[in-house]
Parts: sequence; structure tokens; C-alpha cells
Amino acid sequence: MQTNLLSKETSAKSTHMSDKINHPQLCQWLDSVAHSRDKQAFTHLFQFFAPKILRIARGKFPNEAQANEVVQDTMSNVWRKAHLFNKDKGAATTWVYTVMRNVTFDMLRKIQGNKEDNLSDDIWPVAESMSCETEGFDDHLADKNLLSVIENLPQAQQDVVKGFYLREMSQEQLAVHLNLPLGTVKSRLRLALGKLKVQLGEKHD
Amino acid sequence: MINNHPKFELIQAFVNGDLPASLSAGIAIHADMCVECQKTIAQFTEQVAENSFEEEFLDRFIVDDNDALESIAAIDFDHMINAIVDSSDIDVVVPTIEKNISFNDETYIIPTALNSMELGKHAHIGKLTRTRIQLNENEIHTSLLHIQPGGGVPEHTHKGFELTVLLAGSFHDESGEYVKGDFIMLDGSHQHNPVSTNGCLCYTVASAPLHFTKGINKLLNPIGSFIY
Ligand SMILES: [Zn+2]
Repeated sequence: MQTNLLSKETSAKSTHMSDKINHPQLCQWLDSVAHSRDKQAFTHLFQFFAPKILRIARGKFPNEAQANEVVQDTMSNVWRKAHLFNKDKGAATTWVYTVMRNVTFDMLRKIQGNKEDNLSDDIWPVAESMSCETEGFDDHLADKNLLSVIENLPQAQQDVVKGFYLREMSQEQLAVHLNLPLGTVKSRLRLALGKLKVQLGEKHD
Repeated sequence: MINNHPKFELIQAFVNGDLPASLSAGIAIHADMCVECQKTIAQFTEQVAENSFEEEFLDRFIVDDNDALESIAAIDFDHMINAIVDSSDIDVVVPTIEKNISFNDETYIIPTALNSMELGKHAHIGKLTRTRIQLNENEIHTSLLHIQPGGGVPEHTHKGFELTVLLAGSFHDESGEYVKGDFIMLDGSHQHNPVSTNGCLCYTVASAPLHFTKGINKLLNPIGSFIY
């Protein structure tokens, strides 16, 4: 399913872009993480970004453990939020930078004795604004492979996956929306994701 | 039309994450209403990101001593990767739920940048209503300030800085008329007497008590600390 994604133009055409970073490659890895939870692709991303994040974090945090925490938190956000990256809106480097800057900002606020209020994602959104929900829905629908796989799931799991992935609702919101206990939503999602992983993996090989 | 924008130095600091939450939110609120600044921020962010992750750039500016290199090597990256990919959790963005706030029977949508911030109770003096935003930034105080039609703030200067972002309505002072979206940063050298003919709602960040400059208004010192 990567081929149709790659044929789309990436945004690596801006005047600020240098040739020193392989932007299409970074986009592809992020896509693989987003769409098939590809651990190999994540390892590539990690190897590219982590040492650089660590060096930048060292400039902001004298404490080594805190600098390591920035790496850990940023990269685990990349793993968990990759589906929120939209390559039509900017480069992968810009997105990872936003994730890193936000982690750093919230951590500095915490350390400076202010609050653990995690304000950064409201100030610098990591995802598209949810007000254009239908637009996001259509975008994802364009990814026909993923959709056809989802549609092979049992209806109950489909509802959860569609709400979660395509409409980007939280598990709590889905529970309310579908009138189900939160635990049920979580277990259906887990089941569905397991199946998706297997099926998407098969298509890859 | 918006005529007042943050200067580029502020936008740079904003993108770098170097500003306090109060000022960062002020710029985010302005940019939400200002296409021009949105563009500047997007371009600058892209540039900073590119530089940040470019090996050569890092090599040029960060001198690694051997100790640092050793400790980078000492971090078990493989262990970190495994711990991260072990989790099947996916983060979802909770669709932004619009939050409202009412002043004198008028309801306003709270800017999304302020969504997770804790708001205090309304406090009133004359035609002014203030709600403190609890950011715990020591000498920097952040508020929503509502001015009823015909209300104003007596002539004053600022010991530190005072940022006003107009969220709704308009006001004017000696320098002119301000409209929704305007980003007005004043420092100690400015002296002004804002008046709102039709009422307005502002996001304000002030770093020191306002200093009132004229006759009877000196008696109004409580307003100074009220607004600050
Ligand atoms: Zn502007």
C-alpha cells in the first residue's frame, strides 16, 4: 500500500529544503508507522532523529536524565501519533520538530515549578484542527487499501476502528457515541488492530 | 483589518519554544486570526526544523567533547526503541470542544490555545471585568479583560510590558483604533488611555503593575493591580 502513497507529491519542494535530508524517505517511514505500525520503519526514524534530538535537548536541559526523557517522549509520541502527520501540510522534519518542541516546552514548564498542565498541543497543534473533520475523513478514505481491510472486519470492530482512526475520536468519546462501556471499546479496538496488523502485513509481503 | 502583529524576534522565540506560555498563547491566538503571521510561522518552523535535523548544521554549532560522545553512546537506543514499539497505544486527538465564557450576558468562544488553562472567577470594577488565567508565571499575569461599551482604562504607562490581543470588539487610544485580532505589545515607554466605545474582550499579559499618570487617576491605583 505504500506505492500509491509515494506517488503523491510530498512537500519537500520548498525553497528552505536542503538536499541533505531525504524527505520522501522520512515521509514513507512515517506512513509505514501510521498505517501498518511498521517497527522497522520506526527504527529507521529513531536512528535518524534520536541522536539529533538528544544533542538539542542537551542544550536545553543540563540534566542528562531529562535530556534522555525528551528523546524517549518525543520518539514515543512519534510512534503513537504518526497517523496525525499530514504530509500535504509540511515536511516530516517539521512535524517531528513540533512534537519535540512541545515535549520540551511542557517539560520545562514542569521543571520551572509552574504546572503539569501540558499546554503545548493547544498552542502548537500536532494534528490538523478537528473543525475540518469531514475533510480528514475523505483524505483517509482515499487510502483505499486500508479501507478495504477495515471493511473486512466484523461490524462491531469496524465501528470502533472507523471512529477511532478515520474520525479521530477518543476511546472515551467512542464509548459515549456508540453507547458502549469503555472497556468494550478498548478491547474491540485491540482486537481490530491486531487483525489489521496481520492483514496489512500480509499485503506487504 | 489587523494592523498590529508580533515582531519577528517574538515569532522566532515562539517557534523555538522560548517564550512563556502566556506570550506563546498570545501569538497563537493572533496567528489563528492572521494569515500573514500564520505563513511566517509556518515558514520559520520549517526552516528551524530543517536546520535542527541536518547533521552538518549540528556539527557546526555543537562541539561534542569526548565525554558527551561517550554518554550518547551509553544510552541504550535499542532498549528505548523496543520499549516504545512494545506499546500498541495510539494517541487520538480529542476533537476540540469549544469552550465558552460569558461577560455581561454576552457569550464568547475561548481561543483554542487557552483550552487547557484554568480560569479564575470574574472580578468587576466599573465597566471592567477581569478573569485571571492561572499560569503560575510569577511576575507575569495573564487575564481575559472585558470592557463594557463606553468603558476604558485610565491613562497609564507600563513598568514592564503589556500585551493585549483583541479577541472581540474594538477599542482606541492615542495611537488609533484597534480591531479583533490586533496584537498590541507595549513597554514602559508607552503611555495610553484605551477606551472601548462598543465594548471588547481582550487577552492580556502584563509583567508589572500599570502605573497611572494623571491627577485623580492616581487614586485609582487599585485598578492598576486589578488589570495587572
Ligand atoms: Zn499577524
